[in-house]
This record gives sequence, C-alpha cells and structure tokens, in this order.
Amino acid sequence: MATKIDRRSFLKVLGLGGAGAALAGCDMPSYATMEEGEEQVFSYLAPEEYVVPGIGVWYASTCLQCSAGCGVHGRVREGRALKLEGNPDTAVNKGKLCQMGQAALQTHYNPDRITSPRIGGKNVTWPEALAFIKEKVTGAPVWMTGSISGHQAVLLDAHLNASGGGAHYAVETINAQAWQAACADTLGDAQPNLHIDKALCVLSFGADVLGTWVSPVKFMADYGKFRAAPRGVLTVVEPAMTLSGANADHWVAARPGSEAAVALGVAQVLASEYSVSTSALPSGAADAIVAMTPERVNALSGVDAKTLSKIAETLMSNSPSLVIGDGSYETAAAAMILNLMLGNVGATITPSAELVPADLGVRSGSTKALADFAADAQAGRIGTAFITGTNPAFTAPGGLKIEDALSKIGLKVAVAMFEDETTQLCDVVLPLASSLEDWGSHVPATGAGRGEIHVQQPLMEKLHPEVLGLGDILLGLTQDAGADGLEDFEDYYGYLRTAISAMIGADFEPEWQAVLQAGKVQAPTADRSFTANGALNFNVPETKAPPAGRLSLITTARQGLFDGRHANLPWLQEAPDQISKAVWDSWAEIHPTTAAGLGLKDGDYVTITSDSGAITTRVFLYKGVHPDAIAVPMGRGHTHYGRYATGIGVNPLNLLDGTADGRTGEFLNTTSVRVQATGDNRHLVRLMDVDQQYGRKLAATISADQLRRNQGGA
Amino acid sequence: MPSLLGNIFKGWADYSKGNEEGGHHDYEHMYALAIDLDLCTGCNACSTACYAENNLATVGEDKFGARQAMHWLRVERYFDEPDMDKIEETNDTDTQSRGASFLPMMCQHCNAAPCEPVCPVGATYHTVDGLNAQVYNRCIGSRYCANNCPFRVRYFNFYDNADSWPAPMDQQLNPDLSVRSKGVMEKCSMCLQRTRAARDTAKREGRELQDGDIQTACQQTCPTSAIMFGDLLDETSAISKIWKRHQVKLGVYKQDKENPELRGYRIFEELNVDTKVLYLERVREV
Repeated sequence: MATKIDRRSFLKVLGLGGAGAALAGCDMPSYATMEEGEEQVFSYLAPEEYVVPGIGVWYASTCLQCSAGCGVHGRVREGRALKLEGNPDTAVNKGKLCQMGQAALQTHYNPDRITSPRIGGKNVTWPEALAFIKEKVTGAPVWMTGSISGHQAVLLDAHLNASGGGAHYAVETINAQAWQAACADTLGDAQPNLHIDKALCVLSFGADVLGTWVSPVKFMADYGKFRAAPRGVLTVVEPAMTLSGANADHWVAARPGSEAAVALGVAQVLASEYSVSTSALPSGAADAIVAMTPERVNALSGVDAKTLSKIAETLMSNSPSLVIGDGSYETAAAAMILNLMLGNVGATITPSAELVPADLGVRSGSTKALADFAADAQAGRIGTAFITGTNPAFTAPGGLKIEDALSKIGLKVAVAMFEDETTQLCDVVLPLASSLEDWGSHVPATGAGRGEIHVQQPLMEKLHPEVLGLGDILLGLTQDAGADGLEDFEDYYGYLRTAISAMIGADFEPEWQAVLQAGKVQAPTADRSFTANGALNFNVPETKAPPAGRLSLITTARQGLFDGRHANLPWLQEAPDQISKAVWDSWAEIHPTTAAGLGLKDGDYVTITSDSGAITTRVFLYKGVHPDAIAVPMGRGHTHYGRYATGIGVNPLNLLDGTADGRTGEFLNTTSVRVQATGDNRHLVRLMDVDQQYGRKLAATISADQLRRNQGGA
Repeated sequence: MPSLLGNIFKGWADYSKGNEEGGHHDYEHMYALAIDLDLCTGCNACSTACYAENNLATVGEDKFGARQAMHWLRVERYFDEPDMDKIEETNDTDTQSRGASFLPMMCQHCNAAPCEPVCPVGATYHTVDGLNAQVYNRCIGSRYCANNCPFRVRYFNFYDNADSWPAPMDQQLNPDLSVRSKGVMEKCSMCLQRTRAARDTAKREGRELQDGDIQTACQQTCPTSAIMFGDLLDETSAISKIWKRHQVKLGVYKQDKENPELRGYRIFEELNVDTKVLYLERVREV
C-alpha cells in the first residue's frame, strides 16, 4: 500500500469529505483512517447497502384506495416510491391497477396531509394527545371505520374487547350489501365466486361491475376474457349509465328503483316463452314472478315487453350466463332467481372457500352501520368514538343529521391522513401513515374464498416523522387498555410478523422474506357448499312517474373520485369523467326530453331541492339517463378536504332522505327532488364537447355477426 | 469512416427500397401499438398511469377548458356508431340503447409524421427506434408541429407548470425523464425511459432483449389488457403477428385486405401519415 498522498488525491478527499459532511451528518464512516496512512476512502454519499443510485427496485404491497385490496408493486428509487403497478402474482388483479390505484401516490405525497396530532385544531405532541384522550374518555369506546380486514381488524376487536366491549361500525357508501344478503338467503354463501370470464352473457341490474362494484379491477380482467372468442354479451339495466352500462351491448333505462320489476319480468318471459321451470325456486319467488306481467313491468319501470323478450332471448341463446343485481335487496334477490332458473349456480357462480382464521375476514362496510351509529349517538349510547377510513360528515344522507349525532358524543378521535368534514367535528386528530408507509394484511373483497391474504409493507420512510400506522395506533391503544398477550410487541410490525409466521408455521427469515417478496400469504381454507335456500320475501316497490315538477335524484358512483375520498387527488380531478368527460366540477345528468320540458339546455345551472337540502350545479344533457331521473355523481362538493377538493362541485349525498331498504337497512340512493333553473349558464369544461364522430372512422364498430364470420382472425 | 458519397448512396438505396417496399425504413426497431377497442372499457387507468410515469402536469379547470391540459393519452368517448345505426332497425333515437365507444388517443408515431418537417429547429424527429421523438431542450415553442398534427396529441406548455407539484408531491416525479418547462412542446414518447431501462436490464443480465420485456405504462396497467406494444421489425413479436393477422400494412394510405371484415384499422389512414397504432374495431351485438 502506498502511503504517499499527492496533492490531487488530497483535494479529492477533501472535496468528498466536505460535501459528504454537509449532506450526510456525522454518523457516516470518517476519513480519519487516512491519517493513519490507510488509503481506504468511503464516500459520505454512499447510500444504504440496498440502494443502487439510478436503479429502481420493485417492492410488493397492497393498494388501499378502495376495499377491493389489490396487490401492488411499487417502484422505489433512491428511497422514494415513484410508481405503482399491479402485482402480477395475485389472483385478484393479476398485475393490473385502476386509476384510483395509480393515484395512491398522490394520496401519499399529498401536500395537505396531517403531520402532527391535533387537539381542537392546534398541533400538539403525541403524549399530549394521548393524555388528553385518557382524561376525556367516557364509556366504552366504539370504532367507526371503512371496510377492514386482516390483522388490523383483529387488533381492533381486541381493543374493543379490552376497553369495555364497544361496537364496531364499518361504513361504506359504495357497497354490495344487498347482493351479499340475497346470496346468503338463496345460497347460504354471502360472497360466492363470480366467473364473468366463464359466462357467455352477463346481465346486470344496477351493479357497476366494471366501475365500482366489489373488485372492479378483477372484474375488468375477467371481462377482458369474457370478450374474447366466443364473445360474451353484456346487457345492463339501470336508471343512469354507469361504466358497465357504457360498455353494454344492450343498455336498458329503467325508472329508478324498478330494476327488480324488470328482473322478475324477464323471469316471467323465461317461464312462459321458454318453459324454464320455476318449481325449484325458494318459496315466494314463483308467486312474485307470476305477478310480474309485462304490462305491470311496463307500468313500474317503463321497459316494454319487446325489450323483456330480447333480454330473455339473449340469456337463453348465450349459456351459461351470469346475472348480477344490486342497489336494493329485491333487485339482488330477483337477479339470484334468474341465476337459479338459468342453471348458473354451479357454473358461473361457485361456492367460496371459507377462511379458517375467520377473525381475519372482511368486515364489509355498509350504510346501515352509519344509520346505527347515528341512532346510537343520538340516544347518548356513545361516549367515545374513534373514527378512521370513513368520512360520515360528507357521505351521510342529510336526513340522518349526522353533525347533530356527532355532537352528542363526548370524545371524538379521528385517525386520519387529511383534514376533512369529519375531522372538523372531532376533538382529537391523530396523524395516520399513508398506505405506502404502513404495515398491514388485507383480505381482498372477492378473494376471501381463495384464502390469499395480501401483505402490505412500507415502500419508503415516513414522509412526516409524526405519523403512525393504523396497526401501531391500535396496538398501542390495546396494550394501554390492558389486553393480555400483546405486552411483548414493540410495534405492529412485530405483531404482524409473529402472527403471519404462526399462520404459516414458520418463523425463519427466508420464509418471511418470501412472504414480503410475494406480497401475499396463503391462509388455510375450508371447502364450503351451497346450502338449500329458505323463503324469499318480495316487496317490489310501486315505482311510478314522479309528479309534475319533480324528478328522482340518483347519486351515481364513479371509478375515480369514488365516494369522495379521492377528490383531493389532482390526477383524478383532472381525469375526465368516463361518461360526461367533465373535469374539476360537478354536473347533473338529465335526459334531453326532460330538459326540454323544463326549458333547460347544456350548461344551465339548476337548483336541485329535496327535503334535506339543495344543491346548484350545471346540467349535462344526454340519453343515458331515464327521463324520470336526474343523476349527480358523488365525490365532489367538499367543504374541508384540502386545496384540490374544497369548494369544487356539489355533494348530492346530502340530499338523500335516508330511506332504508327493508331487508338490509341500506340507504336507497334515490330521493324525490324539485329541479329549477337559476337562469345562469356556463360551459361545462369537458375533454370533448362532441359526442359524434361526424362520419370519420375514429372509434369504429362492427356487428357481432360480422365478428363471428371472422372468428378465426379475431 | 462513412464518406459523403457513401451516405448519398445509402440514402438513395433506402429511399428506393422504401418506394419498392411500402413502409420500409432504415430503423433498428419499429415500436408500435395495437389497441383492441372491444376490450377498452374507457376506465382511464392508462391515462392516469401515464400521468404517474411521465411527469404530466395537472392544470386545473380553467386551463383545461382552454385546451391546455397535458394528457398525453386521453380517452375519447363517442355515442354514435355510424355502422351500427345502419344495421339496427330498431335503434330508438330517444333513449340510449347501447353503451358508448371509447377511444384511447395518444401520439400515433407516424412514420411520415406531419409534425416533423415543419419544425424550424429539428426538435422533433424520428429515432432509429421508429419513434417520433421530441427534443425538449431544442424546442423553441413555435407550435408549428401541434398545428400540423391531425390527431391533436401534442401538448404545449403555455405556462410554467411547476406549481402542479407542491412539496412533497415533487418527490414523486420520475427522475428518468425531465419536467418540461414553459414554452416547450411535449407528447407521448411510448415510454422511452422504460425502453431504456429494459435494454439496460437485458444487457446487465447478458441476454438479448425479448418481446414483452418493454411494457409501456398504459399497456402495463390496462385492466382488460386492451393495449399491446412491441417491435414491428421483430417478425416473431406479438405485435407483428396481430398487425399481420389483421392484414394492416405500413406504407399505404388505403389497405387492400384479402378479408375486408377484419377488425384492424388505422385512424386517418387516408392522410398517408402512416401511423403506427393499430386499432381493432369495437364489436356490438345487435
């Protein structure tokens, strides 16, 4: 080893040391060794061992943008998460991701995140916040969350048990409770596996399978196979066009709330024209079918006999089929009756396997839970409430008077990433880590049957040092409440690793690394079979044309802003709505005939008034909405939700009166409203103001017959 | 050492080969897309993936309304279907009886790109990968290229859009490509940086680049796998096969298909710009 240092290398070392010291602090290797004659030089800029400058590394985790629970791969370069893609090894999303998943980066890097605990809007330290909670807590605390599963759900239950047995309210505005209830009643399995890819015909009554229903990315991937040869036919019956409706071969507009009548009408056509037996159906079904004559269907829904025949013919000539329904229990049950009649059960609907560690399963959110919460709060039964992953002050129907209900609760603690309408009403706000900073395990909304549990791991260091993961907060609270068996865990990571290792029966580093690398772990499952069904109680609503001057308001859900939780992401605000192509504002969809009757033209402002409130927004005229309806997509109209969402658009959810479905207790998404022009007009900003191709061959179409002639070359 | 004379001869040889053999270009690769409109649900995942991958700025309502949005990939939506309207006698004009038609529209990477010859400074040119590229730091913002583009897929930075990424949002920016500044035209690059990364990876692993190694961001995320990407010069690639199967040829302004009912077509083919995006017609049950 040469010990002589020439001037050039001396300067090099100095320069390196100087820059490094400035950037990296003092805990890096020093160059003092030089003085001892060694020439070993370490760069102060040398990154961690696993960081290769300029090279992106992909880590597996789980998407939490909706409750579907898709697996993701996140690209990390120089310690930052830069891009998310689907995890190709998951059964749910098979490497794919929707725009909400892509935009999880903007949730994480959002400039409006809460970075410190707050009491009454003032920043405090964690010990202060926890001391405040401890001092003010009264009664057994309750939790209100969105859909939740996995080990966070286990800890949540543990916290409730250890602290007095309070209730857990899982709230989701966009849910599939009606479908799950109908499946439970007819098959004894609330979440059977649906095989869109194996069906040759899919008939949907108000369930937006491609947009927002249960697990849209999974269903879209299946839809891709469904459209491959032999090509499946999609028919959608609904009051206002959804993303699924926008991809339908046949789209049928039904009066809001009358989808069940149409489904039963189709069943009658199947029975009378195609002699499909109704004898094996649950009791009550056959009578409901007989009562639903084509004339009655027409009176209730506005759908004529010819359309019913066409739907029936499509079902009969494309077997196996799959019928899906949601929105009301009657609709879902009528869809299941069609499945039973057509022999789809066992073909395109198969039993889900049972998750053996049942306590990990999904607590599916509902709007009934919100109603229960409001009722319990109003009655003074809730002393302390923890709220996370849901924004009841934004999503609750006006008829529920949620602000009033919340004011009756002694201590309200929000665990949140952003200030929103609900955190405004809470006493304490605890800063939550983003999905890219946290540990967790999640059972996919559809995948429970396969026992594949997705594992969430942090993709990068916390952006804000004060934020904590939900699991860590739950573990801390539970330990504090004196639960047994949790004392030894220092953090949620330790708990999760121990729990998962116990589940797979191994606690070795390689196994654990393999779980993290795959982003998933296989939980033990048990087979299940469909059980015989009991009676169905049909109570088809008497839908009729609204009285003069009134319309049925429909609050529609879109993949994008969803129930409003993604309104603070500029990518999604600027992504043109799939149907209207509008950006950065709300609009009301109205049929041209109805608009003509009201003297409205595109861009006219209208005030929509219900018993619970009023909103003013612009109309968008198009034929994809029933003439008796006016449809306003949910998601905008925030009053407190950061710089990108506040003051933009209107929130139609507040206009709902809170009328609930008889069987499931879910809020129905329609209500009667008055629509009046304000006299103002302003152009609605859209990607494109034309709906026509004017004879140019842009998005060309051919008939399916033509395709079949060429199936070989399809 | 290539001489001037040698260059002239080579140029002439290429030119005459291009004349004899429609669509011939002296490229190393010819990257192209194929989009099956029958699988496209119009969900926008591709477009948002593009925002994430390519550092696209969001501009807000007013600038969007002034056609100053930066969406390299937009999903257009149409309600009319001229061919279907002819077939379907029962088409009720009062209510919608079918869904919509969606059209993902991005730079078509024309082999005879009308944007290229009008650039006064040569900021837009064709690469040896067959891509229509934009050199940001050469661009002077004349906007002639955007004027000349029949697809309206070139996006001009009328403003400095740096406020699109208030801290810490700027940490998400992809360091593999630049953030464009005011006065510069930008457009779809078919995720050039992902091509580079895939090549580097293949080289590091000591192997040849294979079909499927390069995935554009839009193709990667498409939930129904409607988008396909690959090298048309590689005869064995999936993309060459689908172009061949649909009997769509490069270098012509009118396809002469043996089977005219095949679904493949190119938009504005009659303009003879020789686009490299193959669309497959949407199918509709009558």
